[in-house]
Order: sequence, then C-alpha cells, then structure tokens
Amino acid sequence: MVGIYGLLAMSLNFQVGFAGLINFGQVAFFCIGAYTSSLLATKVGIPLPFCFAGGMVISGLFGYLMSIPTRSLKSDYWAIATLATAEVIRLIALNEGWLTGGPFGVMTIPQPFQFLFSRDSYPLFYLVLVLICVLLIYFALSLLSDSPFGRDVKAIRDDEELCLSLGKNTRQIKLQAMVVAGMVGGLAGALFAHYITFISPENFRPIETFLMWAMIIVGGRGNHAGAILGAVIIQLFNVSTRFIGEYVSLSPDVMASLRMLIIGLLIILFISYRPEGLIKEKKKVYYLKRRDGE
Amino acid sequence: MEFSQIIVNSLIRGSELSLLAIGLTMVFDILKFSNFAHADYAVLGAFLAYTFNQVFGINLLIAIVLAALFTGLFGIAIDRILFKRLRVIGANPVSLMIISMGIEIALRNMLRLIWTSEIKTYAIAIRKPFEILGARITPLQIKIVLVGFLSMVAFHILLHKTKFGKSLRAISDNRVLASACAIDSEKMITWMWFLACAYGVIGGTMIAMEHVLYPRLGFDILIPVFCATILGGIGNPYGAMVGALILAFAENIVLALDLSRLINLGGFFNVHSIQISTGYKPAISFVMLIIILLWKPTGILRKK
Repeated sequence: MVGIYGLLAMSLNFQVGFAGLINFGQVAFFCIGAYTSSLLATKVGIPLPFCFAGGMVISGLFGYLMSIPTRSLKSDYWAIATLATAEVIRLIALNEGWLTGGPFGVMTIPQPFQFLFSRDSYPLFYLVLVLICVLLIYFALSLLSDSPFGRDVKAIRDDEELCLSLGKNTRQIKLQAMVVAGMVGGLAGALFAHYITFISPENFRPIETFLMWAMIIVGGRGNHAGAILGAVIIQLFNVSTRFIGEYVSLSPDVMASLRMLIIGLLIILFISYRPEGLIKEKKKVYYLKRRDGE
Repeated sequence: MEFSQIIVNSLIRGSELSLLAIGLTMVFDILKFSNFAHADYAVLGAFLAYTFNQVFGINLLIAIVLAALFTGLFGIAIDRILFKRLRVIGANPVSLMIISMGIEIALRNMLRLIWTSEIKTYAIAIRKPFEILGARITPLQIKIVLVGFLSMVAFHILLHKTKFGKSLRAISDNRVLASACAIDSEKMITWMWFLACAYGVIGGTMIAMEHVLYPRLGFDILIPVFCATILGGIGNPYGAMVGALILAFAENIVLALDLSRLINLGGFFNVHSIQISTGYKPAISFVMLIIILLWKPTGILRKK
C-alpha cells in the first residue's frame, strides 16, 4: 500500500510541485485506473498486462480532459473544479450499476500470476511488483523532470507569463504534464484494484486526495524522493495507529477520526512552519555555456 | 412533481445555501482565497446549537444565536492563530487555501470525535404540512425561508447603511487606500470572520434542521455552496444570493424533468418516462460548477 500511495503521491507531486497545478481531484485518476483495469479484466477478460495498460491510457486521457480548462482558469478555480470532477466520477461509479456494480463495486478482480504463489507468499510477490513499478516510475519521472520538458514544466510553475513570452507553448506543456500524471495515477489505481480484488466507490472518497496532499506537503513538493518519503510517513502513521488501536480501548470510529484530525493538523503545521516539506527541492541554476573566442 | 412544489423546495434550499455562500464570498473578497473550511464552521455551529438545545435545554432559537456567537469567536481565533501570520508574511493564496483544507479535515474529524458520526436530529415536533397552491410546506420550512430573507435584508442594511459596511467595502476595493483613510483593516477582518461564521451557522443549522445533522454534512454542502458563490460572481454578496437561488432551482428542476418527452419527439419513439436518478442530485451542482467555470468564471453578477 505504501508503494501504491507512493505512486499516487509522485503523480500528484508532478502536477503540484512541478507544474504548479493545484489538483484537488487526484483521486479521480486513481478511481478511473482502478475501474478501467478491473472492468477490463472481469467483463472483457483480456490478459492482465493489457488491463493495466488500459487503465493507464484511459486515466491519461482523463488527464488530457482535465487539463483543457487550465487554459482559462486561475489555479484556485481550477482546484475547485477538479474537486467537483472527482466527485462526479465517483457518483457515476456509484449510480451506473450496469457498468460498475454501483455501491456493491466490482468483485473477484483477478490477481496477476496468482497461480504461481500460495496465499501467504502472494502479498510478498505483489510488494515486489509494486516496488518495481515505483522504481521504474521514479526513474522515468526523474529523467523527465531533468529533461528540457521538465525544465519547461518548472518554468511554468514559477512564471507562466515569462514562459509564454519566451515562445513556449505553455498550454501544451501543461497538458502533457497532466497526461503523464494521469497515467501514473491510473497505474496506481490498477495496482490497487488487482491487489485488494474488490473495489467500490467508497474507496475513492475525496479524503483520499487529501491524504495524498498530506503526503506531498509533509514530504516536500517539487521532488520525487519527497513524495515517496511523504507517502511512507503518512501510510506508516495510518497503519501503525491501527495497531495501537488494538491496545488502547478506543472504538475504531474514534481512532479513525483522531487519525484524520492529526493528518489535518500536520498539513496546517507544515504549511505554516515548513512549507518546503522534509526534503527540499534542489534549486538548479543553469548557466549558459560560453563558446571560446566570443 | 407539482410545479409549485418545485418553487417552494427551491426557495427553501436557496435561502439555506445563500446564507452559507455569503460568508464564503466575503472571505474570498477580503482575503482573496477560497476557504474550504467554511461549511465545516457552519456544521460546528449546528452541532453547538444541537448541544445547547438538547443537553442544556435552552430554547432552540437562543441556542442558534449562542452557537453563531461561539462559532464566530472560533473563526476569529483560527484567523488569529493561523491566517494572520501568513497574511503578515504575505503567503500566496494557494498556501492559504491548502491550510483551510487542513482545517477542514481537522475540524470535521474533531466533530466526529466529540459528537460521533451518529446521525442526529433536532427535537422539533413534526407538524402536518399545509398546502399552498398544491405545494406542501411545513411551518419549519416557512420559518427557514423567512429567516433567510430577513438575514439577507439585514446584511444589505449592514453593508450599505452602516459605517462598518462602508469600511468593509472600502477594504475589499483597495486595502492600502483604506488603511490610509484610517480604517483598521485587521479589525475589520476580525469582524468579517465573525459575520461570515455567524451567517454560516444560521444556514448550516437550517439545513441540519430540515434534514439531519452529521459530521460529514460540511463536506457534502461545500461544493453546492462553492457553486452558488461562483455562479453569482465570487466576491459579490448579492451574486451569492442569486447564485444560491439559481442553483436551488436547477437542482429541483433537473430532477423533476421528464426526459422522455424530449426523446419521444411527439410520438416517434415510445419510451416511458425517463428521469435522472436522484442519486445524481449532488452531481447537478458539481456539473453546473464545472460548466460555469468553463463558460463564465466571473459569474453572473460581476463585481463592480
């Protein structure tokens, strides 16, 4: 789960930390990836790698759709719009029972390579699978953000008008950033669905988005390692408090609300006192290389 | 559904939403950020009113006033602790927005901690609704519309007939010029928070009275409130009122609409009545919000 959330946090971080797009609807990617992949597997019955790819493609397409309004909207309006979009997606999943099973969700989603492992060792295998994905995505995103494209993306975050005046097509760059983020989010969704084998709209409440936000705020915006660190911290916190719950005589409801209360406070404290997060973004300064004789 | 019933329902919903939207729009107007915690302040007030009424046995009306008072103070306290610091260092609106999101999460779960997530209802005797022109309406709902209307009138008077309102408008137009004219903007911001929270509490309590009260209510009404605010033109209190009314009408009309007439095209196809399922009711405000943002982000009544 840490790995899956790590992917989600990286995807969100790519939008917020690099492109400066305030996405409050990150969970939509997660949801679309999970539903697409699991529906392809259960209803169409194509091999699993294609399901994963399908989840990524659809979710990337959705990223494309979501990036269209960035042209005309200011960041905070866009943030509200994304929040609303994610809820619409969830409501569609909830109400279109013929496709998604409605509130009952999609059940018996096949797990990849299940036949090779026993029930006990399977989670271990899945962990390795997820870790491989995280590493791959980490390197891919690192490469991408160091590339000229990555520099353009950061430049838009810092000063969009300057970027425009330099002849960059900011709209297209934002769009590409959203598609990349959407694909990563979709992959995370697909991994999630095939791990827990059962998904319902309840898995994709907006609170998930806020969890991801907590991750990148704690970990540090604008760098991938920070996103992963944030995911590890928040997820460890989540899981460990669940174990503590067995020893402390508090009802699960109380524990759950206490947990979220602390996460909310964490967001407030970090933004107030350490807005750059635990791992700072390294500022790179690029110098013009001078040719000799000039 | 009868057409008169649609009007009545929309009026009720509209007066509830507009009270909340006014507070949101004021905060945006003066402080230039979207306060995600606004609806949760309102729900905090609704819970306080519930407690005053049920536990201490205070008259419900007085309980609501008390709750509005306390929540107003709470809003001021949060502003003093968190927002003021960031205002002084001149943080960008995005961090303010994220902080308000943090407050939203923390506050909602605090409510859940104190009052548990059980659904609560106010002890109001259910009375037989009476009919006006074929629409059914309960005495409570009449009171809601009345209170909503009176609050709006009071707000208008406050904004245009008092010195306070004048200073508030001055700050919204030009903060620097206002402080040059010896208007203490910090003091005004404090009052503005108080007012926004108090109005929110009245709206929130009315929603909770008509339906039920639970901690997640704040999040559930957040997007409709945002929608009303933006629809009317953010930063414009009258726009917020108009936006709330339009949204309320849209919600009720879309649900009542019979799509089969459209599809049948005068008898070409024989489809039985198709209606949008009520499961999509929250989606109406979301979709409207997205459409408005795409088509006219400045809203209907742009700020002059």
